[in-house]
Amino acid sequence: MIYLIEDTINGILMGSIYGLTALGLTIIFGVLKVVNFAHGTLLMVGMYVAYWTVVLSGLHPYLSLVVVVPVMYVFGYYLQDIVIKPIFKAEKDVREPSTVIIVTTGVWYVLDNLTLMIFGPQYRSLPENPLQGKMIEFGELFISVPKLWGAITAVATAFGVYYFFQKTRTGRAIRACSLDRDAASLSGINQYKIYNMAFGLGSAVTGIAAVTLVPFYNTFPSVGVLFDIKGFIIVVLGGLGSIPGAIIGGIIVGIIESVGPQFMTATWTEAIVYGLFLLVLFVKPSGLFGVKYDW
Amino acid sequence: MKFNRFWTATAAAGLLISGLMFTGPATAEETTIKIGNIIPLSGPSASVGQQGKNAREMAVEEINAGGGIKSLGGAKLEMLYADSESKPEKGVSEAERMINTEKVNVLTGCWNSAVTYPTTAVAERYGVPFIVPVSVSDKITEQGFKNVFRIAAKDSWWTRDQFAFLKDMQAEFNTPVKKLAFVYENGDWGKGMASQWKKLAEKDGYEVVMDEPYPSTATDLSPVVQKIRRSRADVLLLVSNAADAILLTNTLAEYKVRLKAIVATGGGHADPFFIKAVGKNAQYLFDIVEWEADINKPGAKETNAKYKAKYGYNLTGEAVDAYLSMYVIKDALERAASFDKDAIRKALAETNLTSGAGMIVGYDAVEFDESGQNSHASPVIVQINDMGNGLERITVWPKSARRAGYTPVFPKP
Repeated sequence: MIYLIEDTINGILMGSIYGLTALGLTIIFGVLKVVNFAHGTLLMVGMYVAYWTVVLSGLHPYLSLVVVVPVMYVFGYYLQDIVIKPIFKAEKDVREPSTVIIVTTGVWYVLDNLTLMIFGPQYRSLPENPLQGKMIEFGELFISVPKLWGAITAVATAFGVYYFFQKTRTGRAIRACSLDRDAASLSGINQYKIYNMAFGLGSAVTGIAAVTLVPFYNTFPSVGVLFDIKGFIIVVLGGLGSIPGAIIGGIIVGIIESVGPQFMTATWTEAIVYGLFLLVLFVKPSGLFGVKYDW
Repeated sequence: MKFNRFWTATAAAGLLISGLMFTGPATAEETTIKIGNIIPLSGPSASVGQQGKNAREMAVEEINAGGGIKSLGGAKLEMLYADSESKPEKGVSEAERMINTEKVNVLTGCWNSAVTYPTTAVAERYGVPFIVPVSVSDKITEQGFKNVFRIAAKDSWWTRDQFAFLKDMQAEFNTPVKKLAFVYENGDWGKGMASQWKKLAEKDGYEVVMDEPYPSTATDLSPVVQKIRRSRADVLLLVSNAADAILLTNTLAEYKVRLKAIVATGGGHADPFFIKAVGKNAQYLFDIVEWEADINKPGAKETNAKYKAKYGYNLTGEAVDAYLSMYVIKDALERAASFDKDAIRKALAETNLTSGAGMIVGYDAVEFDESGQNSHASPVIVQINDMGNGLERITVWPKSARRAGYTPVFPKP
């Protein structure tokens, strides 16, 4: 019984972090209506920024947020502005421009290989820091401290993003743009600027996810690929574009992955996650928290 | 433009003619022994191919500088290289060319088991002796061929030696091991190893308390580690790729899993970045590999230093086997005292090499059994520990190859 509690807690913590890695993806999809294949790569870039910030400054890993969030926002903003915007302009009559998928895939390949060239294939882990390998122990029950921090950060970020979209003027402009980009343009919203901001926001949130991962996971050029597919599954599970959906979808995947192996092999839990993904696509293609209307 | 092309063509023709003129008389006189080497020099395995090429060149330089093959009047070894690009069809066609056009006396190669397997069939057909330095697939020496000789240990011997090691450690440190846990990546490699472990565990009377594959792409392995902890195993046997090897090692330490020993199977645990990424969590881990630079064998340190000075990095398992294979060829040629391929084959089959510059491997002799497999070949087992210079890989098994002055830590404190 105690083991089941332990596994469930681990699943919820790890799942919240998965949800956070998927949150950026769902924001970008919600606004731009494109599936960003470079999402894992953004996560990888965020991890490298976080890693080097901590290594060079010697600060607590979570203080690297001060650097990572603005850097990732600017990175995402200009990635959209320089690389993706021209496609939107070229295909402005299409609601969901499919060429963007190919462009983001290109970004993924270019950035992953660029990182490989610059930093090499090394697996990098943070030097000694206050979070590394720390555990809260209640007898037989272990709770990982870095994962606990990650989960708290995930929930806080989700609330923050939700509040931003609901209450701020910019947030409302972004939502308006995602509902109907033409009508928004007519009301004086610069839709391309909104896209840049949304992409920047999505990247910044992905950067936060990267900061939560760095204390207990290794940084290497292809790290994004491992979280990429999981991110897509979570986003579809929770509902494309849904902020609470991303976190709860993440927790569902986390619990399956964590509790499942106690009853079967770890390979099977992966199959169950994929199976659930297909099931949701069949039964409720909009996902658990997806709505008919966008936002 | 046109003019340039004319001159290039002329130059090429000139080179071709002069080349033909040189090869003509040389083969007639037979003053060199031609060794054809088919190895991957481009493509995915190019870096190991290059390691093997470097080691071969170093050995041949030494042999030729030492007076060549004395029983053949000081005949020199001549090296010919063909790039297999890790492609089986390329290996086969290059073997045909080496034998028919270049008239080689001996062939070596091809590193990739998938290339070696069909290529040895070509050598067999023409009756040319084929030395396989490294290619682990069991079936290469199980084809009933007369001309194939493998230096390195085969696949199934890796697991065999892990169990032999366990047995030796229990005897040496008087610590019984009863329960084993198998955890391995969910691919051909991991599953293949685990199925052999299962047989060996049954034979040696161990209780298998966990037998679990996991996806190598897993981003959280704490569920698997929890299972290991609850299994109360004495020894954990692992097959992992790089990212998951790091994750497993760290998570095992975080959950304070108590084990008498962890025995890994190369791969991710032998990755050059592994120790750096996990730090002290790797301490006391055992890992099985082909060869390690600190091996306690006469001449090993000097040979490694020479290789490092020449090429900039340590000898690897691949390189050592390639290096040794040149000395095995030299030894056979000395005894054969002939250029004839049948005489060379016969001498190879009677090989019993126990000393010389090539014998820097973990085992004590090269002797081929019926199938052409070096029956003495065995990998070595290392332990990661800190002897005052930071964490390093220390050879501990077989005992004859153990680093001087080191006592393995078993069970794990």
